[in-house]
Amino acid sequence: MLQGEAATTIDLHLINRVAGGERDAIAELYDRHGARVYALAHRILGNSTDAEDVVQDVFSQAWRKAATYRADRGSVVAWLLVITRTRALDRVRARKPSEQREQRLDDCDSPALASKAAPPADELIAREEADRVRAAVMQLPLDQRQALELAYFDGLSQTEIAAKLQTPLGTVKTRIRTALATLRRSFHA
Amino acid sequence: MSSGRHDRIGGLLEEYALGQLRPEQQAEVDLHLRDCPTCAQALREINEALALLAETSPAVEPPASLKARVLASLTEEREEPRRAHTTVETRSGLQQWPWLAAAAALLVGIGLAAMLYRSESHNRVLSQDVQRATAEATNLRERLQRFSSQTDLALSILTAADMRELSLAGRENAVAAAARAYWSPTRGLLVVADRLPAPPPGRIYQVWVIESGQPVSAGLLGNQSEGRGMLVAPPPRQGTGIAVTVAVTDEPPGGLAAPSGTIRLAGSI
Repeated sequence: MLQGEAATTIDLHLINRVAGGERDAIAELYDRHGARVYALAHRILGNSTDAEDVVQDVFSQAWRKAATYRADRGSVVAWLLVITRTRALDRVRARKPSEQREQRLDDCDSPALASKAAPPADELIAREEADRVRAAVMQLPLDQRQALELAYFDGLSQTEIAAKLQTPLGTVKTRIRTALATLRRSFHA
Repeated sequence: MSSGRHDRIGGLLEEYALGQLRPEQQAEVDLHLRDCPTCAQALREINEALALLAETSPAVEPPASLKARVLASLTEEREEPRRAHTTVETRSGLQQWPWLAAAAALLVGIGLAAMLYRSESHNRVLSQDVQRATAEATNLRERLQRFSSQTDLALSILTAADMRELSLAGRENAVAAAARAYWSPTRGLLVVADRLPAPPPGRIYQVWVIESGQPVSAGLLGNQSEGRGMLVAPPPRQGTGIAVTVAVTDEPPGGLAAPSGTIRLAGSI
C-alpha cells in the first residue's frame, strides 16, 4: 500500500489539526505530501509553472475544506491526489487546443534534473515503496495499463478512450475495471 | 435498497472515482454510498488504487520556494461543517476552544447581568449560575488538557524508534472488528479499534499487556461510540520488552487488576 497504518494515523491527526485552523499542521502536511502532489500535477500538465499553481490550489483547498474530508472514502493522501488530479485536468481542459500539445512537451525545465544531496533514510524507504508500486503498475497487461492511464492522467472518458484505441467501449470498461481490481489486490498485499 | 440497484451502482464506482459519470449518475451514486458500507469500502479501495497509480508519476522535486508560496496563500476562509468520520478520535486542543469560548461568553453575559440586577435574590441566583458556569469552564479546560496530552503521547508512540505495530484479531462476537495496537516499550501503547460491538450490559472493555504470561492493565478502552474505541497509555510496567501480547477483555465498570472476562481482541508480537 501507499503508506503504513502509522503514517495514515499521523495524516488523520494532521488533517484534524488543519480543520482546527493550525497552520503548522498544513505545513507538515505539505512536507509529507507536497512532492507527491507536485509530481502528479507535473505528470498531467507537463510543465513546472502550471504544476506549482496546482500545488498551491490543492493545499489551499485542503486548508479550507479539511473539515469536509471523509476518512471512509479514502486516506488523506488519496484525497489530496483526487484534488490534484481534478485541478490539473481542469487546467488542461481550460487550455486552448493549440497550447495543449505544446505544453505537454515542455518538460525540460524540471528541477528534478538538478543533483541532490544523499537522501535521508525515510526518503529511501519511500522511494523503495514507490519502486514497488511502480513495479505493480508495470506488471499490468499493456492494454489495461494504457486504458487506465488515459482515463487517469489524461482525463479521457471511456468513450473517448474507445475511439482513440479503436476498441469497443465494453472492452475499455473491462480493461479499466480489471486493472483497478489488480491494483486493489496489490494495495492489500 | 434492492440488490439490482446495488449491483448496478457497484458497476459505476470506477467511473465515479475517475470523475467520468454524468451529474445525475454521480448524484445517484453519492446517495447510494451514504447507505451502503460495501460500496463505500469498494470506493475507498478504488481511490487507494488510483493513488498507487499516481505514485508512478516520475519523481520531480518541487522548487524549495513553493512551500512558502503555498503557506502565504492560505486565507482565513474556512468551510464548515467539521467532518464527522475518522477511524481515530484525535481531537486537537484548538477544536475544544469553541466550547471554552462559549463558556467564557456565558460568564461575561452572566457578569453583566449581575450588574444590572441589584436585588439580592437575583444576585444569589446569578451567583449560583456563575459558579455553575465556572465549574463547567474548569471541566472543559481539564478535558482540553487531557486530550492534548493524549495526542502528544500518541504521537510520541507512533514516532518512537522501538515502536512495533500489531493487528488485534477479533474473537467471540467481535470477529468483524478491525483493531491495531502500536507498542513502544519506552513510550507506551496506542490501541485503535473499529466495528467493535458494544460490551455486554454493565461491562466495559479493558486493555492488557501480557508478557511471559503476566497480564498488566494498560487501562480502559475509551470513546466507544459507533463501534470505535481508543486507548493511549504509558508503558503499564517498567522494563516490559518488545515481545508482548495485547488483549482486550470485557470487565466490570472501572476495570480489574487481573483479567476475568472474555477475550474480545488479541494480538502478539
